[in-house]
Amino acid sequence: MKKISRKKISRKKVAILVVLIAILAILVVIFFKSGIRERIIPPPSALPAEPGIQPAEPGETIKIVLFFLSEEDTYLHPEEREIPAYSSVVHQAKRAIGELIKGSQRGYISPFPPETELRELYVTRKGVAYVDFSKEIVEKHLSGSSAEISTIFSVVNSLTYNFSSIEKVFILIEGQERETLGGHINLSRPFLPLYDLIAK
Amino acid sequence: MKIKLVSQEKKGVFIAGIIFFLLLSVFSVSQSQHVLKLSVKDSPNFSRIIIEASFPLSFGFEKKSSYLKVRIGADVAFRIKRDPFYSRLIRSLSWSKERDDYILTIRTKSRDFNYDYFTVLDPPQLVIDFSPLGEGSSEARAGLKRKEDLDRRIDSSSSSRSPSAKESLSSLRGIKTIVIDPGHGGLEPGAKGRYGTLEKDITLAVSLKLRDIIEQKFGFRVVLTREKDVEISLENRAAKANNNKAYLFISIHTNSSYRKDAHGPETFFLSSEATDEEARKLAYLENNPAEIKEGITGESEDEIAMILWDLAQSAHLKQSSLLAESIQKELNSLFRTRNRGIKQAPFKVLTGVACPAVLVEVAFISNSDEERNLLQENFQREIAQRIYQGLVNFIELYSQE
Repeated sequence: MKKISRKKISRKKVAILVVLIAILAILVVIFFKSGIRERIIPPPSALPAEPGIQPAEPGETIKIVLFFLSEEDTYLHPEEREIPAYSSVVHQAKRAIGELIKGSQRGYISPFPPETELRELYVTRKGVAYVDFSKEIVEKHLSGSSAEISTIFSVVNSLTYNFSSIEKVFILIEGQERETLGGHINLSRPFLPLYDLIAK
Repeated sequence: MKIKLVSQEKKGVFIAGIIFFLLLSVFSVSQSQHVLKLSVKDSPNFSRIIIEASFPLSFGFEKKSSYLKVRIGADVAFRIKRDPFYSRLIRSLSWSKERDDYILTIRTKSRDFNYDYFTVLDPPQLVIDFSPLGEGSSEARAGLKRKEDLDRRIDSSSSSRSPSAKESLSSLRGIKTIVIDPGHGGLEPGAKGRYGTLEKDITLAVSLKLRDIIEQKFGFRVVLTREKDVEISLENRAAKANNNKAYLFISIHTNSSYRKDAHGPETFFLSSEATDEEARKLAYLENNPAEIKEGITGESEDEIAMILWDLAQSAHLKQSSLLAESIQKELNSLFRTRNRGIKQAPFKVLTGVACPAVLVEVAFISNSDEERNLLQENFQREIAQRIYQGLVNFIELYSQE
């Protein structure tokens, strides 16, 4: 059986077969070697689908709580907000951060440079939300310890408080890891929430 | 089977030849990328050498009085990567080759020493801890967890028994180094006031005054992380403290907030939440090397290095909080602010400092009234005086323990 098929295989077919095997082998090598670099960027499966996704039921909303600063004291103050009940946590979380950047509807202070934009947000299976902001969050930041703490923990607390699948938050700027926003708080590790910062 | 097939066809042989050559070159490139990374880190009680490989290795030891030979066997060729280092205990590292083995000779500054080692599987790491003879090596290892106790013992023996702070301070004279870190600098100005005052200028002015006061009054050795307007990385600031065997580390900053009314001094020390997690991870890595492959595959070599770095401060959190409290109390009486207490946050600059370390936000540069005050020489001197008093109170309290 094998002898017959051997004879039937033409030169061209052999050549193509060998090339295919070789390409496969090279791809395997590249795959294993490049695996090391995947550490920082989560797998594509964690990326959200295309934007513009619709709520599960039209008109249905969910209540979330966002955290802002107040002139009253040094704490973060909760403000309730209704957002469309998107079917995925990622879209709800994106909307929450969008609302946070837009600012308070009750006169609280937004701890962000107003030019800041959310570039991307994704959540890994291990419960780490990667929140990618535009460069303005660094370039226009006030860069004091208190300012950095309030910016970071308004984001972290607003995400972990509302979404049980988010346990930690990693902040990226323009898709890159950064040491700090302005020389103080360490951004190179994911943040756990700090609920002590919330007004009682 | 496939090779046999090809061998019957001339063209096939030609193509196969090219492809094997390609594959071979891919593999040889990947082989030459094997790296052995050497790093040396000092802790208060021991010096640690981390040999980190991108490939599996075997090892053996041969100890002589002033050096340790580490025989390293590897199946692949590798490059050696090594950063310059300064260590209290390690004098030099040198490489040689004996038959198929590589020999790393570690020379120590002391005439004799103890060593202890442990390994991490993924990535393969050999961690060797050196301590001067007399302090048991296992004790030094445990020092990672019990550093506080060891510190206390060393400090209480070097300080005088006299109840007077001044006397105990002078007995420390010439021994202890205080590292003062003027925040920001160079192209990185830090926060800006409404009238254009830059944080980096105020932090340097206050730090220089603090240095003068400490040196005049007690003759401690004071090292500044910068004495002029230059940019220094946060890690290098911490490294400067460690390389100078700092007894205390004080980073000086001016604060800013999105709240216009924010005012008054604040003193921070590193949050324990982050470091607790690091300590747990490291303990896990040390105790369950076999489980690493399945358990925490996310832990890369960088991350382990970071965990070790992060742990430098965690052993001193208790003292850091006492130091912060002591300084904040003095500043509160200057500003007549009610005590907002000390605060904890994951400050990058404090993370790697292997001694009690605090970050003082002397006032809010974002508050126009405080910005005006911060520009006054007298006010700067007063702040420096209060921080100094906080230091003295801390040392008095600490040395009585």
